[in-house]
Amino acid sequence: MEAVKEQVSTQARAIDIESMQRSQKLNLADEKICLEVKDFNLFYGSKQALHNINMSVAKNRVTAFIGPSGCGKSTLLRCFNRMNDLIDTVKIDGQMLLDGQDLNKQSVNVADLRRQVGMVFQKPNPFPKSIYENVAYGLRLQGVNDRETLDRVVEKSLKGAALWDEVKDRLQESAMGMSGGQQQRLVIARAIAIEPEVLLLDEPASALDPLSTLKIEELIYELKEKYTIVIVTHNMQQAARVSDYTAFMYMGELIEFGATDELFTNPTKKQTEDYITGRYG
Amino acid sequence: MVENSSIGSVLPPTGSPVAKRRRAWREFKDRVARYGVAMGGVSVIFAIVLIFFYLLYVVLPLFYGAEVDTKSEYQYSANSASYLALNEYNDVALSVDMSGQVTFFAADTGKEILTPQLSLPEGSAITSFSSGDATTGILSYGFDNGQVLLFKREYKISYPDDKRKITPFISYPLGQESIQVDPKGRRVSLLSVQSNDEQSSFAALTENNSLVLQSTIREQDFLDEDAFTLTTQIGEIDLSEFGEITHMEMDIDQRELYIVNRKGFIAYYDIQNIEQARLIQQIKAVPHGVDITTLEFLTGGISILVGRSDGQIDQWFPVRGEDNNTILHNVRSFKEQSAAIIQIEPEYARKGFIALDQTGDFGIYHTTAHRTLLVEPLSDHANVKMALSPRANGLLSLAIDGKAKLLVIDNEHPEVSWHSLWQEVWYESRDKPEYIWQSSSASNDFEPKLSLSPLTFGTIKAAFYAMMVAVPLAIMGAIFTAYFMSPKMRTLVKPTIEIMEALPTVILGFLAGLWLAPIVEGNLPGVFSILVLLPIMTILTAWLWTKLPAVIRERIPDGWEAAILIPIVILVGVVSMLASPTLELWLFNGDMPRWLDEVGIGFDQRNSLVVGLVMGFAVIPTIFSITEDAIFGVPKHLTIGSLALGATPWQTLTRVVLLTASPGIFSAVMIGLGRAVGETMIVLMATGNTPIMDFNIFEGFRALSANIAVEMPEAEVASSHYRVLFLAALVLFMATFIFNTVAEVVRQRLRVKYSSL
Repeated sequence: MEAVKEQVSTQARAIDIESMQRSQKLNLADEKICLEVKDFNLFYGSKQALHNINMSVAKNRVTAFIGPSGCGKSTLLRCFNRMNDLIDTVKIDGQMLLDGQDLNKQSVNVADLRRQVGMVFQKPNPFPKSIYENVAYGLRLQGVNDRETLDRVVEKSLKGAALWDEVKDRLQESAMGMSGGQQQRLVIARAIAIEPEVLLLDEPASALDPLSTLKIEELIYELKEKYTIVIVTHNMQQAARVSDYTAFMYMGELIEFGATDELFTNPTKKQTEDYITGRYG
Repeated sequence: MVENSSIGSVLPPTGSPVAKRRRAWREFKDRVARYGVAMGGVSVIFAIVLIFFYLLYVVLPLFYGAEVDTKSEYQYSANSASYLALNEYNDVALSVDMSGQVTFFAADTGKEILTPQLSLPEGSAITSFSSGDATTGILSYGFDNGQVLLFKREYKISYPDDKRKITPFISYPLGQESIQVDPKGRRVSLLSVQSNDEQSSFAALTENNSLVLQSTIREQDFLDEDAFTLTTQIGEIDLSEFGEITHMEMDIDQRELYIVNRKGFIAYYDIQNIEQARLIQQIKAVPHGVDITTLEFLTGGISILVGRSDGQIDQWFPVRGEDNNTILHNVRSFKEQSAAIIQIEPEYARKGFIALDQTGDFGIYHTTAHRTLLVEPLSDHANVKMALSPRANGLLSLAIDGKAKLLVIDNEHPEVSWHSLWQEVWYESRDKPEYIWQSSSASNDFEPKLSLSPLTFGTIKAAFYAMMVAVPLAIMGAIFTAYFMSPKMRTLVKPTIEIMEALPTVILGFLAGLWLAPIVEGNLPGVFSILVLLPIMTILTAWLWTKLPAVIRERIPDGWEAAILIPIVILVGVVSMLASPTLELWLFNGDMPRWLDEVGIGFDQRNSLVVGLVMGFAVIPTIFSITEDAIFGVPKHLTIGSLALGATPWQTLTRVVLLTASPGIFSAVMIGLGRAVGETMIVLMATGNTPIMDFNIFEGFRALSANIAVEMPEAEVASSHYRVLFLAALVLFMATFIFNTVAEVVRQRLRVKYSSL
């Protein structure tokens, strides 16, 4: 009974969020720009994966990347915090600016960049440590070991990730014992503990059940108050529900980019329309 | 639709005979595979359990007590014997009484065999009797005219009709006539005698506690075998102050004399110079109210056994003190019997003895092992004499009422006990209790010293130094290979190191002993400078590398940086070796081993340093391979997750990767340790195999495994030595078993704790 009730209320809230979004009229020109991509190309060895991408990510907004598998949306996302550096064969060309600074410049410290641009992956990846240590991890990396500070930030982050009430009594237990949805929210808590500017979410709910998915979506809506969020998703309903702006990519190209409302209700390109109406993908 | 129908035609419909047959065949294969695998596993466990029980089966008899069986009981006619002896085959016994009656009789029936007539001096009475060391068979009577008759029990063995026939007889080493020991002709009230081919010595207590010492040296004539000359020396000790003397024993080498008085004092004399006997020590050996009731030498003539009126038996022997004086020490005591000890019979070949007390109980003991193997009633009479056969497997007792009893003793391994195997044992002629492994010697009256402690210590020492070399190198190498190295280089490096494991250790051992050991000895400062310089230079190079301009650094692809260390390693090696003689001349007067010796550090050419290097080399592949797999197996999403949080690669390594890989790294180290502990050929060939307990890196050692390999071929089957070697194998087996089990248990636990999806 309890579970059913919760589910119903969560759904109700989700619909709420959707309607709230619809009521706003968004225009990229009015926004503060956080991330800017200019003439960006990316190659895996000799194979080109991204073709001449140009786009902007608005501050404190949710920007969604949609598109069929292999269209390059995750690749583009990973460029925002240079996770592609880990792959030897990747070569890039063009500019990618974070607050006006080229983040691929030699002088940019990758570790610092990633602190500023946090990332959450498709599969929950908590460390085999306690819940507390997972959240405190990023701070400890920065040399923060003061117990009080850590306690405060851990609590704040877990509350921020809507997880505090569920785990406050078992902070010292291993994170491996949590459910998938909890683990994913823990990973988000871990990411926001170091107060990044941008939060990259790579299909954050695709491995979760519907209930956990709703919770994550709710969370995303709350988080955009403080963070700029870029989310990659396969789920068009999700994109429509949570995002302010949507980018549709296909075969490594950015086909269409605009306010979510606009893009879903009135796509300018045929490919976009085919995709969102489910004709392929 | 087309596809569906084509599938239908390929697969027979469920329930059809074809489908049933196929299913049955599939199930059959499945079952065969399942039973095959199960049987394989069970057989492995069974084989291990079988090995364990076989080792245990060989080892266990070491810890059994003695068993005694009554072979025959009969009524013996003569019953006033003051001395009883039994021969090697437990069939001919001898009784001697104070009237001069000497009788050889069948030990199992009491039937008389021979009653030789001794030529007793006329007109004098027998006043004392003494037997020399049991192994010599020397006996003697003392008379009231100061004379002593020396005779010897002997047995001739012949094999008429292929059957063993033993003919006992009496011989006279100094002639059939009695010898005038006391020139003054006084009555000999107490006598002690020892005799061998060259010398016969007598200690005769006469009137007024005057002790007469006489020694006769027999010199064989060079030309005539039957001709010899006798030289006699006489000395006298005045013991009138010493009180009533109750016991007196001379050692088999005729160098020491122990005298015991009624008050429980032992006087310890040096009688090497008969004319000037020297009192070394006089000591009160028993507490007030306790008497000394028996005094007997343990075989070998070094220890004396003191039987007390309270049933305790003390072992004493002289120990060289700090000022080079020998002092009697009560080394160990046995308090198993409750009544006064009336007779102690030492075993002929081992350091064991049998003690008889006033209530007729007897106990079987072993001194060095500090074991009481048996205490049992022998006779219900208080006045009993007993004799132990030379092989210590037969015991004859004769009570005052003539009741005789022949016992068979089964006491195979009294010399081994838990205590003697693992704790310090105070051996005869040693200054202090020690751990000694010395299983054999050229000398006959040698006592095997079977302490497993130095061997276990050697094994631990070998493993320790090997792990000192192997663990840091293997683990750090594995970390670099798995985590930093470019995949291409990794495919080169990993198999290369793993193939090192295929090197036969006998080759490594041979190289270590014959090639490396002399090099290390000749270039000791060089070896040490390599050990110190190599890590320093590696870190320095790495640091300098980060300071190089990016243009140069980018020329070497990511993950190939390690290759620039190759010339550095070679350079450090060559420079250290070249500089070694100079260093040696400059710091150590040109000879480091001798310099070490002078500052009190022993040096062996085949030492733990060599073993550490070579066995470390042998263990590296094991640890490296497992560690590398563990680190490489850390899920990528954890590494990436950490990096995405702004962690540097190093932080990711130390905080996430090593933590997650810790179960694997732990079991790598434990399995490496198990290998180092069980390793045989390297420790056999590259150490001096000296069973010493010294942690000095420049000294050798003897490991359990090497000891088994060296001594097993020469150990007599089913002897104590043989069984102790099996015990060493069992210890080794248990050690590796425990290491591997602990490794597995801890690994499982860590895996549960750090399991990551």
